[in-house]
Amino acid sequence: MSLSSTYSIISSAFASTAAQSSTIASNIANASTPGYVREIANQITNDYGGSDVVSISRQANVALLDQLNASTSESSTQSVISTALTTLAQSVNDSPNATSATGALQNGNSPSAMLGNLQSALTTYEASPSSEPAAAAVLTASQNLVSSLNAGAQAVSQAESQADQGMNGAVTKINSLLSQFQQANDAVVSGLQTGANVSQAQDQRDSVLTQLSQQLGVSTTTNANGSMSIYTDSGVTLFQDVPSTVSFAPTATFVSGVVGNAVTVNGIPITGASAPMAIQSGALAGYAQIRDTIAPQYGAQLDQIAGGLISAFAESDQSIPPTLPTVPGLFTAPGLTSVPVPSASEGLAAQLEVNPNVIPADGGSLNLLRDGGISNPGNPAYTYNTTGAASYTGRIQQMVTALGTSQPFDPTAGLGASASLTGYSTNSVSWLQATNQSASDAASYQSSLVSQASGALSNATGVNLDTEMNNMLNIENSYTSSAKLLTTVTAMFQALLQAA
Amino acid sequence: MTITSVSTLYLGNALIPTITQADAQLTQLETESTTGQYADLGVQLGESAGYELSLRNSDDLLQSLTTANSLVSGGLSTTDDALNSIVSGARSTLTQLLAWVPNSSSGANLGVTGDDAMQSLVTMANSSYDDQYVFGGINTGSSPMAAFTPGSAAETALSNDFQQQFGFSPTSAGASALTGAQVTSFLGGAFASEFSGANWTTNWSSASSTDTTAEISPGQTIQTSTNLNAGGFQPLSQAYAMLSMLGNSSLSGEAKQAVVTAATTLVNQGLSQFTAIGAQLGEAKSQITQANAEMSTQITLLNTQIGGLDNVNASQIATQLNTLTTQIESAYQITAQLQKLSLAQYLPA
Repeated sequence: MSLSSTYSIISSAFASTAAQSSTIASNIANASTPGYVREIANQITNDYGGSDVVSISRQANVALLDQLNASTSESSTQSVISTALTTLAQSVNDSPNATSATGALQNGNSPSAMLGNLQSALTTYEASPSSEPAAAAVLTASQNLVSSLNAGAQAVSQAESQADQGMNGAVTKINSLLSQFQQANDAVVSGLQTGANVSQAQDQRDSVLTQLSQQLGVSTTTNANGSMSIYTDSGVTLFQDVPSTVSFAPTATFVSGVVGNAVTVNGIPITGASAPMAIQSGALAGYAQIRDTIAPQYGAQLDQIAGGLISAFAESDQSIPPTLPTVPGLFTAPGLTSVPVPSASEGLAAQLEVNPNVIPADGGSLNLLRDGGISNPGNPAYTYNTTGAASYTGRIQQMVTALGTSQPFDPTAGLGASASLTGYSTNSVSWLQATNQSASDAASYQSSLVSQASGALSNATGVNLDTEMNNMLNIENSYTSSAKLLTTVTAMFQALLQAA
Repeated sequence: MTITSVSTLYLGNALIPTITQADAQLTQLETESTTGQYADLGVQLGESAGYELSLRNSDDLLQSLTTANSLVSGGLSTTDDALNSIVSGARSTLTQLLAWVPNSSSGANLGVTGDDAMQSLVTMANSSYDDQYVFGGINTGSSPMAAFTPGSAAETALSNDFQQQFGFSPTSAGASALTGAQVTSFLGGAFASEFSGANWTTNWSSASSTDTTAEISPGQTIQTSTNLNAGGFQPLSQAYAMLSMLGNSSLSGEAKQAVVTAATTLVNQGLSQFTAIGAQLGEAKSQITQANAEMSTQITLLNTQIGGLDNVNASQIATQLNTLTTQIESAYQITAQLQKLSLAQYLPA
């Protein structure tokens, strides 16, 4: 052991102190950078007793990152669903504490509330069947009910179309993120081969992954060469050395019965009912669920209500014995000549209209509401009030009764096969609000999970300034000691040389 | 216990989500405290939203029924008034008939009595409420009873019947030879047939035999009127018509006595029938009153139920507001203190 070897130890100390300080500087500089993973300078003792910084490693935590990504995906699914449902639910909300001019509670614009109003108007009309204002009130209530169903159908189409656009946006973003991922991944792989510091590229790769998980649920594996492969949460390969092609063709307009296109990855569908490996989470899954399941189901319910209305207010042949078929009366749709069966009600909510034969502005007569024959005023077979009596209530009573009578519905709309029209329409509101409520609950729950997961990840991988400060003080001390040592050894040499 | 590191980024931002969430909750509570109802009823009620809506619809329906019932009651009161007036007219006619002394000179009084009574009967039978004739059955649009005046369809038919039976008119000299038995047989035969079946509905009445009905509470439909073709209208108008036509005629005292006897029987018959109808309509009125009372109780109950679903508890809101404000304030304080907490502050410059 020679005194001169001390020099090399001291110089290695200076070198590693410099490396340490640069790591600390980098950590401090990025203390507030979200997603920055703290760097650690790995120091070892070298062959002649000095110290070397051999590598810079990241204080990464794969498990927590995976958890954050998973909860991010789940949260964005729920948030997309909840937002869409909030918009849909606007159409059925009560208006809190608002009252009408008569002091009655305002029940909002839902088909169910409008049906209630129609029932009330018919009841009033029944008590004064010769009153023109009472008949006009029935007409207004019918028109409001029709507008409510039309508006509901439009809200459904709009929700579907917005979700479709959302899917298109998500697909564009996924493709762009995948190409960013490729760059970062290539940098990691080549950096590892040359032994360069790949921390920055790894950080970037993680950040792209987190952004990607907002759009769809992903899982990852890391290969021996450091390259990362990405799969959807359903197992379809999104990235393996090169990105897969994610494609989607948006649909221009949505009407009842139109099914949007599926998103495909290298030709394999990952959304839609027929997809064998459909994704479970991420904004894309949320949009797909709204577009393909929730909105169409609510739309089908509105169509069922519209079909039920046509059927409840249909007029039958009053001749004895009846020979003519039952035809749509007060409620009809353009070109409709027979009463549709429940399974063939598709698109009726959007097309429903009040028969122009009762609208005075269109040359119709309000008295047909009382007398019947709305379907065809020229054909006496459908006239109920054969004597033209001013206080005939038979037909009005039938209409009131029909609203509360059980009738068949298409069970595929999800509300059972038989119910009264009023019951069915309130069930539909219940269904929508229950879905809305659970989506809202799930969204806020998932969002708090994300904030917990990101907190946990940040704590495990982020920078604590106090720790860095502390390390900095240690390094400063070691630097001071090394410098002191250097002066001392130099003095020793000088003393030796003077003595000689 | 594991001691884990806390990142400075997390430490600095730890309370931000809490504050944001509390702020959002604060706005919601403010809305709720001013409106007294949940800020978003749909999300609050979920599955029960449809139930709440059906309660509101029932409330609406009951209110409409109550309003409609006042209209029905109005019609019933008019009917009642008209019936009372008809009954009292019949009673006074009866008094006059009982006081009648059979001699031909007092026949003029009989004729006037018949004319007056018939006129007031027609007026009362054509009573209307809200422009609807109350005795028209469901045919409330046209006046139900035709006036009985010389030359009217009913009067012409009756005169023709007399002419056919006896070969001369009631006012001709030949009429004085008719016996009481002959007159009684005419009144019970051809004359009576004018007051039933097709003759009645052609010459006298344009009312519908179908009475109006109304739903006075959910599922409870009652008859709310009577019509000219039912009850005492036929016997009364028959009695009045015979007095009007034969009272002031050339008939002998004996024959006129036969007319008075027949008329008395008919008026009595009419009176008992009107009493029955009056009782029936009175029952309808009390049913409506009862239905209104029941519905009013139901409306109160419904509103309580709706309130239970929609309304927030005011004192609970106030407490929540307080707690939330305190929470936000302490979050601010902690955030400020955490920002000060850094080793860098204590290092010598």
